[in-house]
Amino acid sequence: MIHYPKIARALLFAAVFVLAAPADAQKAFADVGKQPPITLLVGSTPWYPAFEKVVGMYEDQTGNKIKLDVTPFGGILEKARNAVRGGQSPYDLMLLDTQWTIEFYEGGFLSPLKDIDGSFDLPKETLHYGDSGYWNAEKRWRTANGGKLMAYTVLGNVQLLYYRSDVLKQAGLAPPKTWGEVMTACSKLTDGSKQYGFVVRGEKGNAIRYDWMSVMLAEGGSVVKDPEAGDYTVTLNSPESKVALDQYIELLKKCGPANYGNLGQGDVIQLLATGKAVMGDLVLAAWATFDDPAKSAVVGKMETVPLPRGRTGKSGAVIGNWNAVIPKNASDAQKKAALAFSKWFLSEGAQRAFALAGGIPNRSDVFTSDIAKDPKLRWMPAYLEEMKFARQELGYAEGAQVEQIIGLRLNQALIGEMSSGKALNTAAREIEELFKKNGRKTGMLAALPE
Amino acid sequence: MDFLNRTFRHWSLLPAVVLFVLLTAYPVANLVRMSVSTIEFAQGTETWTFTPLRNFALLRADEVIPPAVRNTLIFVVAAVAIEMVLGLALALLVAGVSRGKGLVRTVMILPILVPPVAIGSMWKLLYNYDFGIFNQALTALHLPPVNWLGSTSIALWSVILVDVWHWVPFVFLILFAAVEALPIDVLEAARVDGATRSQLLRRVVLPLLKPAIVVALLFRTILAFKVFDEVFLLTSGGPGTSTELVTLHLYKVFFEQNQLGYGALLSLALIAAILAFLLVGRQATKAVRV
Repeated sequence: MIHYPKIARALLFAAVFVLAAPADAQKAFADVGKQPPITLLVGSTPWYPAFEKVVGMYEDQTGNKIKLDVTPFGGILEKARNAVRGGQSPYDLMLLDTQWTIEFYEGGFLSPLKDIDGSFDLPKETLHYGDSGYWNAEKRWRTANGGKLMAYTVLGNVQLLYYRSDVLKQAGLAPPKTWGEVMTACSKLTDGSKQYGFVVRGEKGNAIRYDWMSVMLAEGGSVVKDPEAGDYTVTLNSPESKVALDQYIELLKKCGPANYGNLGQGDVIQLLATGKAVMGDLVLAAWATFDDPAKSAVVGKMETVPLPRGRTGKSGAVIGNWNAVIPKNASDAQKKAALAFSKWFLSEGAQRAFALAGGIPNRSDVFTSDIAKDPKLRWMPAYLEEMKFARQELGYAEGAQVEQIIGLRLNQALIGEMSSGKALNTAAREIEELFKKNGRKTGMLAALPE
Repeated sequence: MDFLNRTFRHWSLLPAVVLFVLLTAYPVANLVRMSVSTIEFAQGTETWTFTPLRNFALLRADEVIPPAVRNTLIFVVAAVAIEMVLGLALALLVAGVSRGKGLVRTVMILPILVPPVAIGSMWKLLYNYDFGIFNQALTALHLPPVNWLGSTSIALWSVILVDVWHWVPFVFLILFAAVEALPIDVLEAARVDGATRSQLLRRVVLPLLKPAIVVALLFRTILAFKVFDEVFLLTSGGPGTSTELVTLHLYKVFFEQNQLGYGALLSLALIAAILAFLLVGRQATKAVRV
């Protein structure tokens, strides 16, 4: 065995490292140095495998350790609440659904990122997802205008229209651009319970509320008049919303399976992945499933386009992103370590790796880089197009309760327990009551015919 | 000496009393305090405001409560009644066979061992409209598929069926042990006296089994009032409010809507309902004895 002097060995190692790694790869990852281990709360979501791979990459590159607490969706919020309400948080970084973060912003449970490190800033290429990471405490609103940076987006989820390119081609149909075209195409494609033309969630709660809202926005509807300006007049029971709801109900009843009243995300994915459904309205986070031969019978046949427009040509989509936040009651050293991982994760190299592993990158430059040509990432143009009009919804403290109200009443209209007009009137009245109780400036539109 | 003995007996209860206060009385007292408060979080601290009427007003205005109470009662009565009848029938049937009782008992116990989460997931697959085994079987028999979990008129009964599958073995085990312990001489005497099978069952076996039946009934009713996991996984209370139960609504109020005070009031209402049932059950049992 040859024995080199210590300095010579170090120089040799450094030279090999520099020569082996391409120059652009070196600058693509933020250098965060040695950090103490951190614990991270993350959901067992469809995009978790991609995130896990990138965390593994961080550990390999930096030698820093991250303990992942992978939790089913239903348990994440409760774990996060317990963490921030206790003495010292067991988590140093938590990945939360954007809807939940408002409660944490308002409750003062999080550390503004610049309070941890004054020099921290999001890279200029980072997408902002409707400013969901900023909180203006005075306005009680998520906005960069006067707001503090409290979070950054780990996964910018949004729904897209998935379709089977081979089936549409065979039927001589182009991917639908309006909800009316979806209905027309579905009429041609649906064949009893052998083949469903179009599937979307009808399950009560978050499922139907979230999916329907894109149609509502496209038809020109809204939930509240101008919450950012403090006007909480409920506008849910507008004629536009009724058109959207009637259309949504028709799509579910005529194009999908008979169990539309409890059709959840797992069902929609299953129907598309088995080839039983031709088109579907589904979150992008589920994309990786369709190109995985172990899980899909339609590998390479699924394509995406932005969600269809409404009758007046308006587009609508709701962002359902996951944000990373740092609890206020974590120790200073742990907060710094969590922020160090965040800097690394936000760097271009990490985001490229995340995209290639099946995640949705949060940097614009990744979407325009060479990897955008990778067939696995053929969803990117549709996503970028949709992000032009996708927006945040229910961005106020009452959001969770409003979701419960809308999610129940829409489902009741879908299964025929009440008319669409009555469902929207009932939900509007309940939301108005809620706002009144909380001292908001509110009111509601004249009732729709029931 | 007698005084010392009495004193020692009283003080020896102290550890149990302390445990009871710490583990039961204090949490319940805290729940009562929460139920008359509004709890809010601001600037990292929690604020309790004494608002005794607010949560009651929320309870009165809550439109999900009436269907949730109705469904809970249907669920408890139907599930427990079916489980008791099937459990008793199985216990009598198995007790009557001469070989293989041990095997039957082992097989019967399996559903109780499966975690409720696994049961919910498993039955959700079985009930799946397009790919579930039940509808596959119906289709193979040229029958139309059934919308097990998506129909408002069927969903609650589908959930009850799962609960029956899960808990019949529990009733069976309790009653089977009681049947095996029945005094043979009494049964023989009844037979010698010319009792028919039906008379033997109604006038000898059932009265002798009554204590075991009451125990099984009480346990099952309490657990049926508290059912959560299976319904949460199978239907989440839908479609509409067709499978919404009080426990499920309580979960949503407490954990999803973060209304801690109102959630506490609902918890107390559920505890009160179960206690009321136990008291009524106790009185009914006494009346039957008399």
